[in-house]
Amino acid sequence: MKDSEKESKTISVNFDSQVFSLMAIKKAAYKYIDSFSADITAENHEVRCVLSLTSPRNEENSARLVDDFKKEVLDQDLRETLKDETEAVRNLILAHAFSKTGIVNNERVSDD
Amino acid sequence: MLKLHGNLPVLNSTTKDAYLITVTTNTNLPPVLKKNRALLMQPNQDPKGYKAVLTKEKGSTDFDADSDVFQISDDYNYLNEGDIVRLDPSSGSMRSLYRKNSPHNTILLTEQCDHYCLMCSQPPKDVDDSWLLQEVFELISLMPTDTKGLGFSGGEPTLYGDRLIDLLHHTKRSLPTTAIDILSNGRAFKDMEFAKNYATVEHPDMLIGIPIYSDDPVRHDYVVQSRGAFDETIKGILNLKKVSQKVEIRIVIHKQTVDRLVRTCEFIARNLLFVDHVALMGLEITGFTRPNLDLLWIDPYEYKDILSEAVAVLNSYGMNASVYNHQLCTINPDVLGNYRKSISDWKTEFLDECLSCTKRTDCGGLFSSSKQFRHSRYIKAFK
Amino acid sequence: MSEFRTIEFYKSRKSSYRLLPFRFTPLDQDRYVLTNMAGEYLVSARDKLLDFLQHKLANEDPTYIELRSRHFLIDDNSSIAPELLAIKLRTRYDRLAEFTGLHIFVVTLRCEHSCPYCQVSRQSEDKLRYDMSSEIASGAIDLALRSPSQNIKIEFQGGEPLLNFELIKFIVLEAKKRNQKRDKNLAFVIATNLALINEDILIFCRQHSILISTSLDGPKDLHNANRPRPGGDSYEKTIEGIKLVRQTLGRDRVSALMTTTEASLDRVQEIIDEYLTQDFNGIFLRPLSPYGFAIKTKSYRAYNTERWLDFYKEGLEYIIGLNRQGIDFIEYYAATILKKMLTSEDPGYVDLMSPSGIGIGAVVYNYDGYVYASDESRMLAEMGEEKFRLGKVLENSYEQIFTSPNLLDPLEESFAYSVPMCNDCAFEPYCGADPVFHYALYKDYVGRKPESEFCFRNMATFRFLIKKMEDDKLVRQLFTKWANN
Repeated sequence: MKDSEKESKTISVNFDSQVFSLMAIKKAAYKYIDSFSADITAENHEVRCVLSLTSPRNEENSARLVDDFKKEVLDQDLRETLKDETEAVRNLILAHAFSKTGIVNNERVSDD
Repeated sequence: MLKLHGNLPVLNSTTKDAYLITVTTNTNLPPVLKKNRALLMQPNQDPKGYKAVLTKEKGSTDFDADSDVFQISDDYNYLNEGDIVRLDPSSGSMRSLYRKNSPHNTILLTEQCDHYCLMCSQPPKDVDDSWLLQEVFELISLMPTDTKGLGFSGGEPTLYGDRLIDLLHHTKRSLPTTAIDILSNGRAFKDMEFAKNYATVEHPDMLIGIPIYSDDPVRHDYVVQSRGAFDETIKGILNLKKVSQKVEIRIVIHKQTVDRLVRTCEFIARNLLFVDHVALMGLEITGFTRPNLDLLWIDPYEYKDILSEAVAVLNSYGMNASVYNHQLCTINPDVLGNYRKSISDWKTEFLDECLSCTKRTDCGGLFSSSKQFRHSRYIKAFK
Repeated sequence: MSEFRTIEFYKSRKSSYRLLPFRFTPLDQDRYVLTNMAGEYLVSARDKLLDFLQHKLANEDPTYIELRSRHFLIDDNSSIAPELLAIKLRTRYDRLAEFTGLHIFVVTLRCEHSCPYCQVSRQSEDKLRYDMSSEIASGAIDLALRSPSQNIKIEFQGGEPLLNFELIKFIVLEAKKRNQKRDKNLAFVIATNLALINEDILIFCRQHSILISTSLDGPKDLHNANRPRPGGDSYEKTIEGIKLVRQTLGRDRVSALMTTTEASLDRVQEIIDEYLTQDFNGIFLRPLSPYGFAIKTKSYRAYNTERWLDFYKEGLEYIIGLNRQGIDFIEYYAATILKKMLTSEDPGYVDLMSPSGIGIGAVVYNYDGYVYASDESRMLAEMGEEKFRLGKVLENSYEQIFTSPNLLDPLEESFAYSVPMCNDCAFEPYCGADPVFHYALYKDYVGRKPESEFCFRNMATFRFLIKKMEDDKLVRQLFTKWANN
């Protein structure tokens, strides 16, 4: 019997809460809802995630899943920063888009 | 290439200042009309009564004492009935400003420019030449109303600001059915007031041709040698479109623009889909092009696939696109639908190789300057 | 002559830049898809993306230059991007203001076929019970013309609509008459199996420029197995009908749609070949409809969506191969998505619209007068779920119907931009909110996207199309043509 036989049903992953926001971790966990459900607790400077796999995986697949999850947490964190940085210009662009620019046809008014 | 201007021997003169005048070959004009015509004199014709005479005769014949008489050579055989020239009796300078037989006349408004393009065919001169604009008002008044189209160029015509708009109003009034095209870098139109003023001309057929050399602002600024050019040009185009004016985008293809040509066309298709025309143009080896030849020269045959790809993008998006200033043997057949014979008639040339080419009449030929200085190595007659 | 400056002079000395709003989602193991506010995409390696986000990307880097030209950043050299993005955004959403363009009239529920997957048809002689009345038709015409859209397409469906051709004539003539004072562009389509087409019908269609849309599932055995009919000759009738329509109305006046069933999944090339044989310019490789089938089996995903994706990819590769050989043949589902990816136009395809296309893009007037938010909404009602019924012709006003909570609630709740996971997905501009689908399968308008078949299928399709364009220039050129179709 090989060690890489399917076994793991729960995996623990921890994050430093001074680096990653709780929201980023939750959003990342949401994305993997079809692969695992996560019990998330926060204490001091740590966020603990206990992942319960929806179906068993061998070590290799589990490691990959955890890897992907960690990358997604980083992605979510970066998305938050991106959102903050671009909030103002986003609103500017939207305001401009929905004012009457004169380049795009203005709405026709229904005659009823 | 036609010799459009030169200094001629003056056989007789009374006028001090330069003036514009219409050329005629008609010796039966009523005297009142002879008084403001320049006679293109043939041997044994009676030159009396004409304001000016252009003759090949060396010795003086029976000229009026108050005629300005210029001696012309065979270089000026293109001159014809209805052409308009500027004559300067004090220097002997003659310049052809309008040729009736030409399908398209371009009028120079100024040599001043706020750009300094690497390949500029009309290098800027920082000299006050606003007298040119004044003269153009008069030229327009002399032009026949059946003129199909005319172009205004420079330098940068919009440097005249509102006076340019005045000229356009004047042109519309004097030549109501003549199509106008204007070459400009478009930056002045970043000022919406100026764009609105331009729109007040309400011309039935007026187009402004504005270059965009790259989707990369840095590269565009580099080619035109002016920081901030890209943004202002785009802004100008947007403003012109907000006031419903016709806009053409022009791209000159050379080594500094060819690498991003496809990306540039994609940029135009995604962001400026509403422009009326896109012109992809071959390089003319004149003006600044010659000192910058190493930077600019690439054999069109070598970029023909890129050209095909770029044209395909524009066609796919339903834009009107034309390929100008290329020879048929240096392009792929898939751009034939967009190919135009575009080189101004006065500077079109062919090589010896072209004499036996079966497609010569369909081909736009080469710029005289290309023939003289640099052209594709792959020019080859079609059998 | 002054000196000419090098390109270095025109680069900003400062390497700093400001990020513009964008979203990013993995494309594959190494690459990400980035989409800007106008929905334009760019593919980037992960490390470049991270550098970019952390303001570490150098302005000489080729990726930087692309990011600037494609409106993902502004810097000292150029800040015109926000204005251009605003225009593109505005263009994209312009269609929304047009509101409902497609009006489906179910003129009868009767049909002489008995297709197993069909949710709605009944074999019945009972005309009174299953035909739309002229009173209801009249009320529905008023509702349709009340739409602000300048372009109104009236599509006749059933059952088999030709079984109630008299009503179709009535609707066409009445609609045109009432449109005279409104001057909208009216277009008519009949979705028919063509078994009942005849000379008189065709003459009327020609007089009024009516288009025909028919079903062709594939080669004869596949088509006939899908569409049982007394005589077992659905295919033959369809082919005959297509020929007749082309002869009488014109080659471009008849289009064909396929229904993808389990039986189709292994035979995509044959199906495409059938369309080639019948001289069509393209095919719409439709996703599997979950209605009926998947409600029964929860194992829809592992089996069906994956199989459909294989079916689709194989079909698309085959079609690309045809085009490489110089045969112009379009795949319309890809073309619909590509239009969203490569232009600022909205194809108006109900299933891929956000806000959802229900009500906004299309509306259905059923034979019994009930009004539904979409074709699928009607199918759902036939299966017992009336969540998307908006009202009744002659009993409810236009305002009541189009402000019904049964329309507004799903529209609002499913708006992709606000839904978890969708709101930061790079593919959101290409995707849709499909509240009907999600309600049918998961009993809420949104579902959980990681578990959603709709999401899984769409993301796989978008990734496939983008990868093909990135990896093959010819495909990119072909797809650009399709996008502008």
